Amino acid sequence: MSNRKLLISSLNLLRRRSRPISTLPTNRTPKSDPPIILDHSSRQSAHSRVPKKPIHGSKLDCAVFGRDFSSTSSGLGNCWSCGAIAASKPFLFCDICRSVQPFDQSVDYFQIFGLERAFAIDDTGMESKYKDWQKKLHPDLVHTKSEKEKEYAAEQSARVIDAYRTLRSPLLRAIYLMQLEGARVDEEQTVSDPELLAEIMEIREAVEEAANPPALQQIQFQVKGSLDHWSKSFENAFKKRKFEEAITSIQRMTYYSRINEEIMRKL
Amino acid sequence: MLRVGLKRILGLGQELPLPQARQAPSLSRLYHERVVDHYNHPRNVGSFDKNDPTVGTGLVGAPACGDVMKLQIKVDEDSGKIVDACFKTFGCGSAIASSSVATEWVKGKQMEEVVSIKNTEIAKHLSLPPVKLHCSMLAEDAIKAAVKDYHAKRAKAGASSGADIPPAENVADA
Repeated sequence: MSNRKLLISSLNLLRRRSRPISTLPTNRTPKSDPPIILDHSSRQSAHSRVPKKPIHGSKLDCAVFGRDFSSTSSGLGNCWSCGAIAASKPFLFCDICRSVQPFDQSVDYFQIFGLERAFAIDDTGMESKYKDWQKKLHPDLVHTKSEKEKEYAAEQSARVIDAYRTLRSPLLRAIYLMQLEGARVDEEQTVSDPELLAEIMEIREAVEEAANPPALQQIQFQVKGSLDHWSKSFENAFKKRKFEEAITSIQRMTYYSRINEEIMRKL
Repeated sequence: MLRVGLKRILGLGQELPLPQARQAPSLSRLYHERVVDHYNHPRNVGSFDKNDPTVGTGLVGAPACGDVMKLQIKVDEDSGKIVDACFKTFGCGSAIASSSVATEWVKGKQMEEVVSIKNTEIAKHLSLPPVKLHCSMLAEDAIKAAVKDYHAKRAKAGASSGADIPPAENVADA
């Protein structure tokens, strides 16, 4: 599904690039836009968000809607530079005038990578998608442009890095999903589950005493097994919206991830 | 990473000959010298036999860092005085320093006395930054858990011999 979207959106991109410049940017209406990319839900919410007049909110909003192109807007906003209508979400970069767009709080990490918001993700296309974004957003590419756009590029590029790092790690991805759900993970709470702690203590001592790489690898094999187990447990709990269970799984994942990091340091 | 970082900073500190150079902003900004001292020379590292009836073991963890801390006390059964203490902590520098300080503070004190040790006192002693306050909290909880474990063991042993064990008050819940 997401792959198809990606393919379509890139085809769409190609089509747009081959258009003569003269038809751009403001003569376009939503009807002439290829009706792709958006899924149904975001299209609906997009329409409800069509601003009748420029939004007076944060500076960011003003930057997006400051120029009044909203009458033809698809609801996703317009390019701050050329005013073209955002073709899709996430709109981090205008393909028409090639300018980096301001930070948009409503875009989450999953959208940046065209993924569904879920714990189980297909990360095969992530690296190339990451590189694609950096080819457009990297601060080095805008060094001749305005201070404003340099700021956007710094922000957007950093955000894409953060998104990539977060989504690729099962633990960080799990914590991020919980954040998106608004469930607070109280990380400062002391855990006193004696069985878990005794096990962790034992493994950490074993890591400390492990004499050679094979011994470490053997421990790592076990630790990774536990990590997988609790990842699956998180996935199930999260799907059922059992957030307490999900948090318990995150805590377990944190412990096993730390041990794995320690092993990697020693290997 | 912290270990490497600290060592690097310390290594730099040693290369600089002047005493005031050691107060380089990078070092003082990161950790108070007492943290560094306890980190490099932790007091009372080790383990007691957890099955020894005079030993109380507190095992606690912080999910944020994936830290795990074990603090043990050895108690004189007649006086209720803590005659020895030790710890083993896998965690960040602040957690290690907090537990190291905790073992120093509980030694020679009565059990009722040590359960009133507050994390804020430990944090203040080590000048821990706000983000590291939970490390001192962990040490406070570890002391309480150790005392609780000692009482629980005594109660268990006492149940068979019929001895009267005072209830463990002011003690952290399991």
